[in-house]
Amino acid sequence: MLKYTIKRILAMIPQLFILSILVFLLTKAMPGDPLSQAFRANPNLDPAVLAELQEKAGFNDPWYVQYVNWIKGLLQGDLGISYIHKVEITKLLGDRFVNTIWLGLATLILTYLIAIPLGLIAGRYQNSWADKMIVGYNYVSYAVPLFVFALLMLFIFGFRLDLFPTSGSVNPQVEPGTWDYFLSRIHHLILPALTGALLSTVGTIQYLRNEIIDTKHKDFVKTARAKGTSEKNVYNRHILRNSLLPIAAFLGSDIVGILGGSIFIEQIFGYPGIGQLFITSISQRDYNVVIILVMLSGFLALLGTLLSDIILSIIDPRIRIEN
Amino acid sequence: MKKSKYYFITLLAILGLLLAACGNDSAGDAGKDSGDTEEETTLVDPEKDFAKKVDKLDEAIEGGTLNYGLVSDAAFKGILDWAFYEDNLDAEILSIFSEPIFAVDENYEITNDRESAAKFEIADDLKSIKVTIQDGVYWHNGEPLEAEDYAYSFYIIGHPDYTGVRYGDDMISDIVGMEAYHKGETNTIEGIEIHNDKELTIRWTEPKASLKSGLWTYAAPKDYYGDVDIADLVTSEKIHEKAIGFGPFKINKVVPGESVEFIAFEDYYGGKPKLDSIVLRVIPTSTIVEEINSGNVDIASFPTNQYTIGMDTPNYELLAQEQNAYTYIAFKLGRWDAEKGEAVQDRDTPLQDKALRQAFGYAMDNQTIAEQFYQGLRKPANSLMIPFFKDYHNPDLEGYTFDPEKAKQILDEAGFKDVDGDGFREDKDGKPMVFNFASMSGGETAEPIAQYYIQNWKEVGLNVQLLEGRLHEPNNFYDRVEADDPEIDIYQAAWGTGTDPNPYGLYSKNAPFNYPRFVNEENERLLAEGASEKAALDKEYRKEVYNQWQELMFEEAPAIPTLFRYELIAVNDRVAYYSLDQFDDFGWEQVALTEEEPVK
Repeated sequence: MLKYTIKRILAMIPQLFILSILVFLLTKAMPGDPLSQAFRANPNLDPAVLAELQEKAGFNDPWYVQYVNWIKGLLQGDLGISYIHKVEITKLLGDRFVNTIWLGLATLILTYLIAIPLGLIAGRYQNSWADKMIVGYNYVSYAVPLFVFALLMLFIFGFRLDLFPTSGSVNPQVEPGTWDYFLSRIHHLILPALTGALLSTVGTIQYLRNEIIDTKHKDFVKTARAKGTSEKNVYNRHILRNSLLPIAAFLGSDIVGILGGSIFIEQIFGYPGIGQLFITSISQRDYNVVIILVMLSGFLALLGTLLSDIILSIIDPRIRIEN
Repeated sequence: MKKSKYYFITLLAILGLLLAACGNDSAGDAGKDSGDTEEETTLVDPEKDFAKKVDKLDEAIEGGTLNYGLVSDAAFKGILDWAFYEDNLDAEILSIFSEPIFAVDENYEITNDRESAAKFEIADDLKSIKVTIQDGVYWHNGEPLEAEDYAYSFYIIGHPDYTGVRYGDDMISDIVGMEAYHKGETNTIEGIEIHNDKELTIRWTEPKASLKSGLWTYAAPKDYYGDVDIADLVTSEKIHEKAIGFGPFKINKVVPGESVEFIAFEDYYGGKPKLDSIVLRVIPTSTIVEEINSGNVDIASFPTNQYTIGMDTPNYELLAQEQNAYTYIAFKLGRWDAEKGEAVQDRDTPLQDKALRQAFGYAMDNQTIAEQFYQGLRKPANSLMIPFFKDYHNPDLEGYTFDPEKAKQILDEAGFKDVDGDGFREDKDGKPMVFNFASMSGGETAEPIAQYYIQNWKEVGLNVQLLEGRLHEPNNFYDRVEADDPEIDIYQAAWGTGTDPNPYGLYSKNAPFNYPRFVNEENERLLAEGASEKAALDKEYRKEVYNQWQELMFEEAPAIPTLFRYELIAVNDRVAYYSLDQFDDFGWEQVALTEEEPVK
């Protein structure tokens, strides 16, 4: 399996290379550039200076020259500078990724904490009122737009009940590195993470429920029951393990997915993460940042499928990865 | 696949923001169901209906923490040095902890009459200024402010490796010896002479009429920046998280992109600030009104599109302020000759006839737009010299008020008649005229406003269509307007004017920003006269010149101003002092609170 994994990783290189050229070309093809925006807003600035800056930044070179320069830097670990934020991209992404990972992990954990018990109950007590409630919640959560729900949550729990902070990732008045700082971060996380989690349970619940309903009519379950296994053990040992397979298959892409960030949640909760950075970088033509983010999400997508395959092969002995 | 997903998300995001704005409105207005929309068309008058300051200092308490809301849907960039910052969000943050060395008067001209870190003496020939730094002014790191700190900011901006946008301004590039320094030929700027720790003189190659409004007035902490190369300064933490100034508050902590904690700077030269600290947070536009209502922020800009007349403001007061910007509609008349560096007005279009342009102007119903879309927080504009410049704006200029009959009459007299009876006028030779109108996307009102103008013009028989049937994304729009795209006949855009009234940079034939490519001798003469030495020394004369210029631009109408803008600032009832009034010598050190806890 190690061999297979290495092979898959090697195959990513040409894929990422092609992606990089495509993304580079498309990004540069967008009208405008990151420098001209500052000049448009202000007639007191001299357009001759803009031309000088564009020349210095190499925007006038042919695309392949720009591309080679860029990829040279990349291979040396130099991602360049954000034209808009005027900081090293590694630092910019560092700040944002920390936020995104906190939020993403919290969302993922809450999602499973909510979805798995609900899926189990719905599947086990199929057609009971509890099942109907859960399926009802599932449809509603699938139908409700995230931004409406997020605003609603913010309005109720943030503003009316005053239980949670309404924007930001941490209270600026606490000292980084302290216990209070950690608690403040958690406090800021709960509401956005819960909001995201409540709306992303749909797939997990539905799959789990269907899978349990499916499994509980299988022959081996009947056999187990016939042998006198307690109902509790039938569910916990025989049905649950088999039913978790499809959920586990999603785990890989879920883990990767959280790194992409959530634009709505970040926007509404004023939580600066990767999703928000991506959108603003596009509208402000911050080339370097856009390219890196797309490359990163491409890489993560490839990695996600690989992870899913590996997880699946570990938990399901029937699936074997062959060379 | 990833790409298309993001595209979809972007679309949703836009939709989301629109809905978010609506959702928020209805939440804020929940208690107000008697509101009759018919009656609400009465306008507010921003000058009369809103105050410019709150002042209840007699109730003020000692200390306290003020919460400041920075309204934005994106994180702030945090480029915290005046020589490098690029957007308004960073400027808002900067203005709390970093000050210019001179104070400005109500006309945004530097003055010695207000408290400031330095005083000046301008030479009679307007070619030099002598600056004296006052004693007792300290940077936040404890170093005293010195003459070389002021000089250093010129050394930064002029440096060959400087990547910011401030170089080309002629108040900087015309300093004696600046060009040689900028090219890297020398290491010193000849025209900046440091006499001692506190005094220096700056000389220009020619007289500077707008010296008092155009001078670069920010210093840079030379000792603090000292060990960082100017090329690396822009990415240094010394202008980001660890930036310093000599203002009343200093940065204590920055959470990148989302918040800043300022604490009082005890050694501030203007006296110890009244507050203990200011906490600034980024607040998304979708929740700002709710944040203000719940007392979470004490001072924040209030989105004008969420303002409704008679709105309940239980725990805060709204202050209004004129913005230094205007919206306009302009006609493409020529092209830019890059080699000569000047505009050439040579496009073959019926719009060359100024009567036609005037008719376009009289046909536009800006009053209705100001009422329907902005509740009076924008006003129909009469002049390209905005009221922000109190001394130069001519309030008596009639401007293009809505008068379709007059528009029709002008068109009839000029020979633009509907000869084939299709409802649209033909040109003087009887050929059909169709004009392409370009306007930018952004915000929910952009499309209806563009359509309303098109409807206005249709009513006087002018056939205008939206360029390619849609609005254009701002970058794309400006790329095409700048390149004199022949498809664009008329466009709508806006200018921020800064604080220098001189319109040369927007309307001279030598100005690349003269997007209409309007060329007119009288215009050039007046613009030159307005920036002349005589005008600088004699304000009445300058006023007279700009008056003539406003009338000329009204008559010629290459660009027709449509709306002047106001912005609203919400101030919580516990704030004891805050002022937008330019007649006040306002500083953050004067801001105080009346209670520890915000009014909810």
